[in-house]
Amino acid sequence: MSNVNGKRFLKPGKYLMMGNVAMAEGALSSGLKFFGGYPITPSTEVIEHLAKRLPEVGGCCMQMEDELASINAVMGASLVGAKAMTATSGPGLSLMTETISMAANIEIPFVFCDVQRCGPGTGFVTVPHHNDIGLTRFAGNGEFEVIAFAPMSCQELFDLTITAFNYAETYRCPIFILSDAYLGHIHEVVNIPPKEEILKRVIDRTIPKDTKGAKFTYEDIKTHKLTIPKPYIVGTEFCPPLIIHLPHNQDGILMPEENSLRFMKIMIDKIRDNIDKISLTEEYKLDDAEIIIISYGLPVRASYRAVDLARKKGIKVGIFRLITVWPFPKEKVKQVVAGAKAIIVPEMNYTGVIAEQVERVTDLNIPVIKVPKVATLHHPDDILKAIEEVAK
Amino acid sequence: MSDDVRYPSEKPEHPYFDSSFSGMLLGTLVSRFCGGCGYGSIGQLYTRVFEDEKLDPKLYPLVIGIGCYSQIFFLVHKNAQKMLTLHGRAPAVATGMKMANPKMKPIIFSGDGDCLGIGGNHFIHLCRRNLDCILFIFNNSIYGMTGGQAAPTTLYGAMSTTTPYKMFEPRSDGVELALAAGASYVARTTVAHPRTLMKYFKKALKHKGTSVIEVITPCVTYFGRKNLDNLGSKGEKGEIMDTGGKMFEWIKKNSIHINQAKFMSKEELFNKYIIGEFRYDPSKSEYSEEYKKIQNIAMKGD
Ligand SMILES: Cc1ncc(C[n+]2csc(CCOP(=O)(O)OP(=O)(O)O)c2C)c(N)n1
Ligand code: SF4
Ligand SMILES: [Mg+2]
Repeated sequence: MSNVNGKRFLKPGKYLMMGNVAMAEGALSSGLKFFGGYPITPSTEVIEHLAKRLPEVGGCCMQMEDELASINAVMGASLVGAKAMTATSGPGLSLMTETISMAANIEIPFVFCDVQRCGPGTGFVTVPHHNDIGLTRFAGNGEFEVIAFAPMSCQELFDLTITAFNYAETYRCPIFILSDAYLGHIHEVVNIPPKEEILKRVIDRTIPKDTKGAKFTYEDIKTHKLTIPKPYIVGTEFCPPLIIHLPHNQDGILMPEENSLRFMKIMIDKIRDNIDKISLTEEYKLDDAEIIIISYGLPVRASYRAVDLARKKGIKVGIFRLITVWPFPKEKVKQVVAGAKAIIVPEMNYTGVIAEQVERVTDLNIPVIKVPKVATLHHPDDILKAIEEVAK
Repeated sequence: MSDDVRYPSEKPEHPYFDSSFSGMLLGTLVSRFCGGCGYGSIGQLYTRVFEDEKLDPKLYPLVIGIGCYSQIFFLVHKNAQKMLTLHGRAPAVATGMKMANPKMKPIIFSGDGDCLGIGGNHFIHLCRRNLDCILFIFNNSIYGMTGGQAAPTTLYGAMSTTTPYKMFEPRSDGVELALAAGASYVARTTVAHPRTLMKYFKKALKHKGTSVIEVITPCVTYFGRKNLDNLGSKGEKGEIMDTGGKMFEWIKKNSIHINQAKFMSKEELFNKYIIGEFRYDPSKSEYSEEYKKIQNIAMKGD
């Protein structure tokens, strides 16, 4: 890119950018300092772009020997205080899950971009399939919560990546950006805001001024009030003497078995208790809607058009969009769908992972209709057909 | 010799007691290793070097893999910033640490199964990049932690729970691998040679590049107890190695110095450990320094 200038921030203005590049630029704006990756279609442009850009900002982009090494190097970099990320696709994510689980335990923040492709197995590598939604939710052994973003445009890939890094610093759990083969590869106009504006949004990795007596995990285990402290940094004063991925307490020391449940609760509840702050959603023409579309990612774009077409025909339909797919905003969805005539869930997978989540929280008499698409995009007509069907 | 002389009731002060993590934490030296295990000695030797060389804990993080030796954190220096990683992945974690903070020199503890089995790929590529760090491979010829299964390093003829008839696979040699992959300092020694071990460690601390130090160490419980010191070879009278002392003797007997090995045939060296320094090449370019040059090129660009 001609306007790059070897700086962390692009000059403000409008750019025609590929999705994968927009995501990478969002990461750089957040202060990305380390990227470890292994080439895999359709995510490869991320590592290619960062191999050029990261050294320009004094960071490091490493092509590792495999995804296991990538994610472990990313964890190592984050342990010493660098903002770090990796990008991969389904097969790579499968390999990374062991480390994601460990990172969840030691609460080391980093961001994963999963540019999903059609599976299972090697599958069709250049077409989209939102088939890792379930995998990201349970991305590793053990119990832990994750946060997953589902952008639907290149602009959002840029903006939500900044939010993702902020969430990583704040909530210290695995953070996913769920892109896909089409979103990663389309070129769209991305509006880059001025540096000052971006900096106002970014949460930096800092350590407390007074590290004596600083806590590395939660303030008050007894009252179960969770204040999530800043992540520790190896190579500074603000580091426990032992980092260990077993149930542990404030000082990194093992807790006896009876406290493991408490540890589990902390790990999970730090996300669940904050779900209102974490969960990002969007509503479109919901006020009087009788039919509700719940969707995320690219199918939302087709849904907008379908809703507009249906409204012209007098059908009262609206969209409830999940910008963060995980944690699933159970209570919010419950409120939104209360009294609805029907719910339509267009998803780019056959099983309907989110449709099943919706079914879980809605009354049995409200039908939840799946509109599956695999390896291709929804046409607005696909969704319109479903709307007309239930409006009959 | 009377018992009084052999086991004096007054024990000498442990000079490094206060330096150890468990000494600081619990006021006593805790070791979760079996009697006769070599890992205790290794932990103490590490603490000694750490204390004597006055290593800055902020610059020498200790990255530990998964195996029996993971429990070494009790014995190592209290100030060392130590972290347990996943089985086999410690070299990759250390790579990320070093590249995100090039001032650091990570010290990696890994086992023979950890490093040459599950983590073999990371090991090879760490050596290839010649990343500035120290990698210890603790070779006890067995998977100790999981209860005595064969490791890629298990000697021919040895018994293990997964080779109940005898080990028949050729073994992998960490030193040969490190040399072929390109590590710039490669040495092997044993727990029975503690001074040499400290010497190599100190040399590695001053070396810029990947230092691979393989340490032959006894696992009495799962290797010694199940094996004869001739490893089942016919025509030799063997003795079961069920104590630390016997295993130390065996390790000494089974280790041949590199200078001596030069005059020995392949058959004579079969199932033996060659010890000594295999390569010391401070001139080889180091990864983080090379990357610094790339950064300089990139920053100068348009
Ligand atoms: C992914 C994974 N697979 C298997 C294990 C089980 N495991 C733990 S330690 C170990 C063997 C360790 O052997 P080695 O590295 O030689 O160390 P030692 O116990 O001999 O000191 C195994 C297989 C694990 N922890 N993680
Ligand atoms: S099982 Fe073997 S390696 Fe493990 S502590 Fe016991 S003697 Fe040491
Ligand atoms: Mg072993």
